Amino acid sequence: MTVHDLFEQVRHLFARRTDERELDEELAFHLEMEQQARIRSGVDPAEARRASHIALGGVDRTKEDVRQAFGTQWLEQLVADVAFGVRMLRRSPAFTTVAILTLAIGLGATTAVFSAVNAVLLRPLPYDQPGQLVRVYQTVVTQPNGRNFVTPVHYLAYTKRMAAFASIAALGTYDREGADLGVGGGVARIRTFGVSSGYFDVLRTRPALGRPIDAGDDFGAHEIVLSHRLWAERFNGDSTIVGRAVPLDGEPYVVTGVMPADFHDLIRPDVDAWKTMDLTPGRDASNYNNHYLGVIARLRPGVTVPQAQAELNALSQQLNRQYDQTSWRATLYPLKEDVVGGSGHALGLMFGAALSVLVLVCVNLANLLLVRASERDRELALRSALGAARKRLVRQLLVESVVLALVGDVLALIVAQLAMTAIVASAAGSIPRLAGLSLDGRALGFSLLLATMSAVGFGLLPALRGGRTDPNAALRGETRASTGGVAPRRLRNLLVVVQVSLALVLLVCAGMLVASVQRLRDVPLGIQAANVLTFELHLPDARYDSTARARFYETVAHTLETQPGIRAAGGISKLPATGPYNQWDVTALSGPLAHDHERGGVIAEERVISGDYLRAVGMRLLEGRAFNASDVPSAPRHLLISKSLATRIFPGVDPIGQRLRTAGLEGEVIGVVSDVALDGEGTPDLYVYHAHTQFAGDRNWALTQVVATDRAPETFIASIRSAIATLDPMLVMYQPTPLSDAIGRGESERVFVLRLLTTFAAVALGLAGLGLFGVLSYGVRLRSREFGIRMALGADTGAIRRGVVGQGLRVTAIGLLLGVAISLAVARALGALLFHVSPTEPRVYVLAVLFMALVAIAAAYVPARTATAIDPRTVLQ
Amino acid sequence: MADDRGDLLQGTLELLVLRTLDFEPMHGWGIAQRIQAMSSGDILVTQGSLYPALVRMRRRGWVKSAWRVTENNRRARYYELTAAGRKQLAAERAAWDRAASAIYRVLDARALPAGA
Repeated sequence: MTVHDLFEQVRHLFARRTDERELDEELAFHLEMEQQARIRSGVDPAEARRASHIALGGVDRTKEDVRQAFGTQWLEQLVADVAFGVRMLRRSPAFTTVAILTLAIGLGATTAVFSAVNAVLLRPLPYDQPGQLVRVYQTVVTQPNGRNFVTPVHYLAYTKRMAAFASIAALGTYDREGADLGVGGGVARIRTFGVSSGYFDVLRTRPALGRPIDAGDDFGAHEIVLSHRLWAERFNGDSTIVGRAVPLDGEPYVVTGVMPADFHDLIRPDVDAWKTMDLTPGRDASNYNNHYLGVIARLRPGVTVPQAQAELNALSQQLNRQYDQTSWRATLYPLKEDVVGGSGHALGLMFGAALSVLVLVCVNLANLLLVRASERDRELALRSALGAARKRLVRQLLVESVVLALVGDVLALIVAQLAMTAIVASAAGSIPRLAGLSLDGRALGFSLLLATMSAVGFGLLPALRGGRTDPNAALRGETRASTGGVAPRRLRNLLVVVQVSLALVLLVCAGMLVASVQRLRDVPLGIQAANVLTFELHLPDARYDSTARARFYETVAHTLETQPGIRAAGGISKLPATGPYNQWDVTALSGPLAHDHERGGVIAEERVISGDYLRAVGMRLLEGRAFNASDVPSAPRHLLISKSLATRIFPGVDPIGQRLRTAGLEGEVIGVVSDVALDGEGTPDLYVYHAHTQFAGDRNWALTQVVATDRAPETFIASIRSAIATLDPMLVMYQPTPLSDAIGRGESERVFVLRLLTTFAAVALGLAGLGLFGVLSYGVRLRSREFGIRMALGADTGAIRRGVVGQGLRVTAIGLLLGVAISLAVARALGALLFHVSPTEPRVYVLAVLFMALVAIAAAYVPARTATAIDPRTVLQ
Repeated sequence: MADDRGDLLQGTLELLVLRTLDFEPMHGWGIAQRIQAMSSGDILVTQGSLYPALVRMRRRGWVKSAWRVTENNRRARYYELTAAGRKQLAAERAAWDRAASAIYRVLDARALPAGA
C-alpha cells in the first residue's frame, strides 16, 4: 500500500458520508445523462427512464461495489473493534484502572531507563568520526589496568613518533582547575581547562568566532578560547572580544576564539574556557617522572586500536630504554569507553531491572485477563454462537489489550518524564552525558513498540484461551464449575510463580546494593570527614608571589582557628579520598633499599599541605614531628610520609631522618603520618606530604581549605567568608562543601543504582502481592459454593483460612525457590557494583525471602478471610 | 482488504479509462460514452464496473477528480489524469502491445517451431 493510498483510505474513513453523497449525485447525473441521450434520440421520456434504469443495472449493487473499492473495511472493522474494546474496558473500571496504572509504571520506568541508555551508551560522541578518538594512559607493569597520566616527555615523544595518530593533544589534569576572570570587584571564578594546541583538531571542531590555539602557542603563550556560555553571559556576546586580552588570575590572556553553542566538551563538561598549556622544555616539561598530562588522540583513517596499541608498545619499550626505566607501558582506550566508564554496566543493570518490572506487569495483566476471560465466557460464547469466527474473537480480545497498553503508554510518558528528572538529579556527577537527557523520538518510538509488544505479551494467552470458549458448555454454565477447572488454574498459578521469582530477584539485587553501600560507609578512609568544611581559595599570581602565598595560607589557617567552634584549619592541594592527583616516582636514598630502583622505587601520591591540615582532617602523626614555622624555603627539604610508604621503602629502620628523592627534589623524612585511602572505596595508597611553606615557589597550588568545626559545617560558611574578607576582600571563597559530600562522590553511582533498584523492587513486590491476591481471590470466588457447604456442615473457619493461605504459600514457595536460583546467577552480574558483599551473601537472601513471604501471607490472608465470611445461605440458594 | 489487482477485464477497463482521460478531463458518463463510441459500440462500460474502477484508480493516484459545471450547466464530477496516471498509461499500453503481439504470433503461426 502506498502512502497516497493510505492517505486516501484514512480520508475516506472520516469523509464517508460526503463520499456517499457524492457517489449518489454522480450516479444520478449518470442516469440523467443516459435518459437525455435516449430522449434526444426520439424515445419518449417515460420509456427513456425505464430503459435507462434497465441499461444501467442495480444502483445499490454499484454502490456496494464502490464501497468495496475504497478498501477500508479492515480499517472500519478495526475502528469498531477499538470502540467495542473501549466500551468493554469502561464496563470494568477497577480492572482497567489497575491495568493502566501498572502498565504506566512498567512502561514509564523502562522508557526512562532506555532514554538514559540511549543518551549515555547508544548515542555516538558528538564529534566527527568519534570511533577514531582514543585516550592514552601510562600504566605500570604491576598495575596493567591503572590509568596513570602521561609525563610531558612521553607525550612529546608520542606527538613526534606515533605514526598511527592523525592528531594528538595534551590536557591539564588538575581536577578542578579554576582561574579568576576580571579585576577588582567584578572578579569571577571560572573553570578553565588547559589544553595543548591539537585539542580542537583532535575533536575536529573549530571556534565559531576567531581561531583555535595555534601549534606555536604551546610554549608559554597566554591565550584562551571562550565557551559560548561564558562569552554570552560574561561578555554579552561581544564579538570584538576576539583578539583582545582579558585578565585571568591577574595576567593578560588573549581571547583567540569563541566555541559554538552546540560544542560539548565531554572530557570537562563544566568548562568555561580552554587555556594554553606551557610545554616549554625545562622545569615540569622535561621531567620523565612527572605524570600530569591527559592525552587524547585521533587515529589515522583505517588504523585500528590494536594496530595503534602495537605501535605504542614498541615506542614505550624504546622510551624505557632511553630513560633507563623498566616498568612503564601505555594503553589506548576508545574515548567513548573512557568517558562512559563503568556507567555502562550500571545502566545495563537498570535496564534489566526495568524490563523485569515490565515483565511482572505483563504477567500480572495476563493473569487478570485470564480471570476476566473466564468471567466473559458467556459473552464470548454468545458471540461465537452467533457466528463470530474464532479469529475474530481473538483479534477483538487482542485489540482490547492493545488499547489498554496504548492508554497506559500515554500515562507512561508522564511517568518516564518524572523518572528521568529523578534519574538526572540522582545520577548527576556519577554518570556522564546525562545532562541532555530528554524524551526524544527514539525513546517515543521505543515506548510505543514496547507497549505494543507488551500488549501481545500479556494479551495473547488470554485471547487464545478466550477464543477457544466452547459455546455449548459455556452457555449452559458448565465452565463455571465449582472448582474452576484444573488447567486454567495451573496456568494462573504458574504466572504467580513467575511473578514471585522475578520480584525476589529484584529484591535480592537491591539487598546486595544496600549491603554494599552500608559497608562502603563503614570502610575506614583514614580521616574524620564529619563536620569538616572545604572550599577553594585561589590567590591570584598577580598580587601574590610565592612568599606571599606561603604566608597567606598559613595566616588564613591561624585566623580561622581563632574563631569559636573551629577546631582546626589547614589546606591541601587535593582533598583526601577523592582520587589520584599528582603522582611521582619515589626512590629511597638511604636505608636498606637506598638507590634500589626495583624494590626501593614506588609511585606515590604527592600532596602539598598548609596550616594544621593533619588535625583538620583527623590524621594522626605516628612518628617524628609535623611541619612548623622552621620549614622555610631556605631550610633543607622536609617531608612527611605515610605509614605504608615508610614500611615499603625503609623496611626495618627508623624512617625519621631517612632521605628520599621524589617530585624532582631530594628531602629528609621528618615524620610519619597515618595512611589515607585514595578514594571513597578505601583503596590504599602511598603518600608524600610537602610543606606549602617550602613548596610554594614550585607553582601556585591553589590549596583547598579544610576547616574542622564542632557542628554542622555549613553553618560556618558566612563567618568564614567574612573572616577571609578581612584578610583580603577580593578573594573568592569558592564552592564551600562538607568534606563528606566531596568524598561521597565515590559512592554516588552505587547510591543511584540502589535508589532505582529499590524502587523497582518495591514495585515488583507490590505487583507480586497483587498477583497472588488476585489469583487467590478468584479461586475463593469460584469455590464459594464449596466453602459455603463446608461452613454449613460446621467446618472450622481456621481450617478453611489455613487452606487458602496454604495454597498461596505453596505457589509462593515454588516462586521463591525459582527466584533464589535465578538470583544466584543474576547477582554475579552486579560485579563491580558490589562492595565487600559476596553475590551469595546468605543474609541478603534470607531477608529477601522473608520479606517476600510476608507480602505473600498478607496477600493471601485477605481472600482467606473472604472465604470464611461467606454466608452459606446466599451461596446455597 | 479486497484484492484489486486485476484480472484481464478489470485491467483492460482501467487501460481504456486512462486512454480516454488522456484526451481531456471527463465525467463518468462521458468516459463510458466515449469508450463505446471509440470502439464503434463493441465495448459497453457499465456503471457497475466503471465507478469502482474510478475509485481504485483514484486510490492509486492515477486520476484525480473535481466537481465542475458541464456545458449544460449541470454539476458533475470530472476525472483528470495525473502525472502518475500518464506514466501508468504508457506502461500498460506497452504491456498490452507486448501481450497482444505475442498472442498474435501464436495465433498466426503456420507450423510448430523446430525442436519444440
